[in-house]
Amino acid sequence: MMTLLLQTSVLDINYVAIWPMIILSISGIAVLLFGIAKDPVHRDMSMIGIVGFVLAGVATGRLWLPVKTVGQIRAFSNMVIIDHFSLYFFFIFIIIGLLTLLISASFLEAERLPVGEFYSLVMFAVVGMMLMAAAGHLVMIFLGLEIASISTYALAGYRRNDLRSNESAIKYFVLGSAATAFLLYGMALIYGATGSAELEGIRTAIIDNVNAATKQPVHTELLFLGAAMMLVGFSFKVSAVPFHLWTPDVYEGAPSSVTAFMATASKAAAFAAFLRVFVFCFVPGYGQGLHSAWTTSLETIAILTMIAGNIAALTQHNFKRMLAYSSIAHAGYALVGLIADDWQAVAFYLLTYSITNIGAFGLITYLAGRGDRETEIDDLAGLGFNNLGVSIAMLILLLSLAGIPLTAGFMGKFIVFKAAWQKGFHVAVIVAVVTSAVSVYYYLRPMVIMFFRELKVEPKRLPLPTGVLVTVVLSILGTFYLGVMPGRLFQAMENAKVSFVQSR
Amino acid sequence: MHFIKQNILTVVTFLPLFGALLMLLHSYFRGNNPEAMRRMALGFSLATFLASLPLIGWYADPTLIVKANWIGSLGVSYHLRVDGLSLWLVILTTLLVPLCVLASWHIDKHVREYMVFMLMLETGMVGVFLAMDMFLFYLFWEVMLVPMYFLIGVWGGERRIYAAIKFVIYTMIGSLLMLVAIIALYLLHGQSTGVYTFDIVQITENIARYDFLTYQQQMWMFAAFALAFMIKVPLFPLHTWLPDAHVEAPTAGSVILAGVLLKMGTYGLMRFNLPMFPEAAHRFAIPIMILAVIGIVYGALVAMVQPDLKKLVAYSSVSHLGFVVLGTFAFTETGMQGALYQMLNHGISTGALFLLVGVIYERRHTRLISEFGGLSTPMPVYATIFMIVTLSSIGLPLLNGFVGEFLILVGTFTSAHPRILAVIATSGVVLSAVYMLWMTQRVLFGRVTNEHNKSLADVTLREKLTLVPLVVLIIFMGVYPSFFLKRSAGQLQQIHRLVNERAVAGMVR
Repeated sequence: MMTLLLQTSVLDINYVAIWPMIILSISGIAVLLFGIAKDPVHRDMSMIGIVGFVLAGVATGRLWLPVKTVGQIRAFSNMVIIDHFSLYFFFIFIIIGLLTLLISASFLEAERLPVGEFYSLVMFAVVGMMLMAAAGHLVMIFLGLEIASISTYALAGYRRNDLRSNESAIKYFVLGSAATAFLLYGMALIYGATGSAELEGIRTAIIDNVNAATKQPVHTELLFLGAAMMLVGFSFKVSAVPFHLWTPDVYEGAPSSVTAFMATASKAAAFAAFLRVFVFCFVPGYGQGLHSAWTTSLETIAILTMIAGNIAALTQHNFKRMLAYSSIAHAGYALVGLIADDWQAVAFYLLTYSITNIGAFGLITYLAGRGDRETEIDDLAGLGFNNLGVSIAMLILLLSLAGIPLTAGFMGKFIVFKAAWQKGFHVAVIVAVVTSAVSVYYYLRPMVIMFFRELKVEPKRLPLPTGVLVTVVLSILGTFYLGVMPGRLFQAMENAKVSFVQSR
Repeated sequence: MHFIKQNILTVVTFLPLFGALLMLLHSYFRGNNPEAMRRMALGFSLATFLASLPLIGWYADPTLIVKANWIGSLGVSYHLRVDGLSLWLVILTTLLVPLCVLASWHIDKHVREYMVFMLMLETGMVGVFLAMDMFLFYLFWEVMLVPMYFLIGVWGGERRIYAAIKFVIYTMIGSLLMLVAIIALYLLHGQSTGVYTFDIVQITENIARYDFLTYQQQMWMFAAFALAFMIKVPLFPLHTWLPDAHVEAPTAGSVILAGVLLKMGTYGLMRFNLPMFPEAAHRFAIPIMILAVIGIVYGALVAMVQPDLKKLVAYSSVSHLGFVVLGTFAFTETGMQGALYQMLNHGISTGALFLLVGVIYERRHTRLISEFGGLSTPMPVYATIFMIVTLSSIGLPLLNGFVGEFLILVGTFTSAHPRILAVIATSGVVLSAVYMLWMTQRVLFGRVTNEHNKSLADVTLREKLTLVPLVVLIIFMGVYPSFFLKRSAGQLQQIHRLVNERAVAGMVR
């Protein structure tokens, strides 16, 4: 049956390939419709959302083996490429999307905000991210990016009566649109240079040095300019220095669960597209030094990102702002893996980072309390021994972000450093290592305040919402699993079948 | 028997952690009872000590080696093994922890967490000494920071937060650069032999056999490893975290810090730097020895003027550890034996000194030397023990300190290095006599000047239990050093051979 479904028709329509997206879109619409009902039942909508994500996960899982046998599934005239690379990112997005739903439920209920729209926006954003990861065409990347971004803009401003949330949404929207414009311009130039907007066509054109449309040699200046534009656009999206200025304000103002989603899933999606274009298409040895040009400039960007992100995080008093700068710094570490041309390292890093961060933000949604207000680090004073479970969970997650062994964060950094050192990016690795040591200082600060300071006020005894509890438990289990026994995942990624790379 | 031998290293390493988990479960189901927590912690740390004792007989038995695949695709293995270099350090660790638990009996702030951290720390420390895989070694090395950080930060003194953060950041910078060196060594070894592994034994052997590291690479890697270890030792001028951490840590924390944590640095130098990068070791030897000698003299001089007892002991550590580094880099067998012996001595004597300071601090809540005087009148037993430990620390013959310092100085003097180093270092022995005896005179002897000290109670049974084992060891190690040295000689000979053979070959090349 599988072979039957894998057959391509004339239009190359292949629903099997996009089952995960279809499922999520349908359940997103279903939640939306449910939300219109006069007195929507909260529980039912959460259920639909959860089931939607689980089914999408199952559909993704069922694609893994067929991809293993046939190598890759291309559909819709090469618009969509399903290979292990895209499936791996699908899993990240689905897990993060699901956990975002779980940590938002109690917050939405407490704030009396409409649930249906929120859930469906998250689900649509995830669909957009999946399209980005599975894109085989520049236009597909753009479409996926827009679907994901517009949903996230709306989510950032979801607390519409709160000024901070509005500011966050506007900033994100204006700067995000500017970034998209850069990206689009870059895409147009690359299309002009190579005569193809299909990723494989671009790759072939660069390798053969023949414009696919005009059969002339590739126009080098145009190609470089286009690549530079795209580099700027993607750097915006992953919030790399010096294109990071929107991040702290947006992350601070958005509702905490949305920040969690932006800091993890959105970033991973941007990296997925980044990898697809730069690592898989702008390959070393061709295009008149295009590869060394982009790696050199990205190396500089990565170094700046790690330094600026970590140093700025040192002085923050707001927990969310601190994690915003920390996420900038982490983008820098992931970029170090990117310049090493190692998609496995980047993908693994993003998984470890996302799993850890979603748990940390889950705890913040809980600790921030009513109105999402108490996000200053000082608000944690004395929490430690009074709420041992929560503070130990926070401790583990922060240690993972700092990269202490036994946690996912260490394993991710280790893999990235190893890949980059192997490729000779010694300066970047040394900077990464020294900034990691610096980062320990600000990850320790919440612990100092939680455990070492005496309590100022009576401890909050709000019950921990089930969704947050589940998220945090899963996140900690994931943190330890990836930190202690990543062997099987490494094995799977090493044997992963990725399109383009085989044809090299 | 075979089964026991195969698992004993795993048991010694993870029994404390297992105990910590059981304590958490116990407190979850039976309520958080401080007394039960103390007893369980003592029970598990004693059990670990007993479990580690058979290692003295079995350390050379290859059935003890544990090696299992862990992360196959990276070449990371779970590899534990004990040899002459690590044997006594493991025993020292397992001995000090139950004593520390006993010495912390009076702590009544968050007892459960305190004891759990203590046991976690023990697993980390034993793991560092037993790990024979660089990845595993690094893991234990780093994870150990977390419980120590909390021990200082929660149960420490006035400036505990500052001290705890300083301790972690200092160590982290060194150890992360070491991580880079580990990765680089792993890659270079893999590229030249085709086997990607973190196995310390294998890499050391292959370096000796194939000599695949260029001089330049050796120098860089030596520097990265040495920086991490020298911060931990701590060698002058990287020592500034130590007085803060020692002074602010609770008594047991100081004992562990001085007794075990500092030894990890010197252990690492002997395990990694000497056998793996011999040419670089020879190149760096003189500068490092100069720093060691500066540390010896500087530590002693600064210790002399300290008004605070704990600070005095802390700076004396800087001085004593300088001797260890000096002996290590003498590259003679005698020097290395002395260095290893001095590591144990320092662990025992300085551990005992911190415990002794803790005893009077508990009674008077001050550590200022000027607050005391004439303590031998109200506390005769205390004064006797204090005197023995002091004499051991300044290296009186028939006590343990003498053996170590003597071997180190002889080893350095007979080495190929300038003799002036040994000569200056000898002045450190004299200076240590000055500051230690002057301190004991001001604290123990003379008339009781302070009213508060007149009615001080002598050491209690619990305190005796913590101190007497150390005093017995001080004397035993002083009269029968070959019991210890003959077991470590083999391994030290091998290190000696590796560091000298290759270096000579390298010079010819």
